Amino acid sequence: MSEVRLTAEVRTEFGKGAARKIRRGDKVPAILYGHGTETKHLTLPGHELMIALRTPNVLIRVEGEGVNELALPKGVQRDPIKGFIEHIDLLLVKRGEKVTVEIPVTTVGDVVPDGLLDQQLVSISVLTEATHIPEGVEVDVTGLEIGTQVTAADLKLPRGTELAADAEVLVLHITAKPTEAAAEGEAAEGEAAATAESAETESAE
Amino acid sequence: MLIPRRVKHRKQHRPDRHGAAKGGTKVVFGEFGIQALEHSYVTNRQIEAARIAMTRHIRRGGKVWINVYPDRPLTKKPAETRMGSGKGSPEWWIANVKPGRVMFELSGVAEPVAREALRRAMHKLPMKCRFVKREVGEA
Repeated sequence: MSEVRLTAEVRTEFGKGAARKIRRGDKVPAILYGHGTETKHLTLPGHELMIALRTPNVLIRVEGEGVNELALPKGVQRDPIKGFIEHIDLLLVKRGEKVTVEIPVTTVGDVVPDGLLDQQLVSISVLTEATHIPEGVEVDVTGLEIGTQVTAADLKLPRGTELAADAEVLVLHITAKPTEAAAEGEAAEGEAAATAESAETESAE
Repeated sequence: MLIPRRVKHRKQHRPDRHGAAKGGTKVVFGEFGIQALEHSYVTNRQIEAARIAMTRHIRRGGKVWINVYPDRPLTKKPAETRMGSGKGSPEWWIANVKPGRVMFELSGVAEPVAREALRRAMHKLPMKCRFVKREVGEA
């Protein structure tokens, strides 16, 4: 995976007032730490960072006054409604170093007509080289029968990547689709309960 | 209908209606979801109505998750009652939903079906909402 270069400025003012001022200028307050080094407070360009973070576990080269480091995004705080980045934690990494990261698990293909795909894990923890982090792991669900379970041990990880999560953990399984009658029955049950309760409330009044 | 089995205090203060959701702001269980854009008290009846609207539309197949639980009682005094003489009796069970909260999730259906099912469910809810999708691998 190639690295993304971001120009950083060192932050000297702290607190919510200073952070809000930075955000008003379309920039993001950031913090860089790791390997027992002294924590660095930075300001990163908002738009470039947002584009960089579209790639999972993107390797970022932070450049600036007195800073030239490779880092991985560790924690990203976003606004829950508008989605803009409020703050980012960057973890210092070195070339050739092994890191534990979460990579996305995606599915390809269609399940059998009467089957329902129940994906329990959307990302999985792996141990890999910091400069060669896979973009994700794919699971082909074509032709999987009802009742089939795919565990972490069944995942085909790229070369040089080891599983850091429990091998027994369930990633996905194929269940039978609920019948129309069952779905309707559930709905009717809910309605009946609502009616019964309203009757109860009225009688109490 | 969702109702707590047992509560520590039968009558509670009204929950605060300020701020945004601190957690549960992303689709994590299913593929699609309904996200609240405003603050509101959602009653157990509204949750049930939304669930029924959703499941009726998807007919068979698909799985629904309800991420909010109506665990707060709201009280009401009877009509034409003078003020005083104690707090009213519990009338509703509500979930205190704040902006950003993903309330329902859905999976196992095609996107157009999910959009329509969740649109129908949104009509049963008391606040502005939007359709959201799970974003793969976003940090």
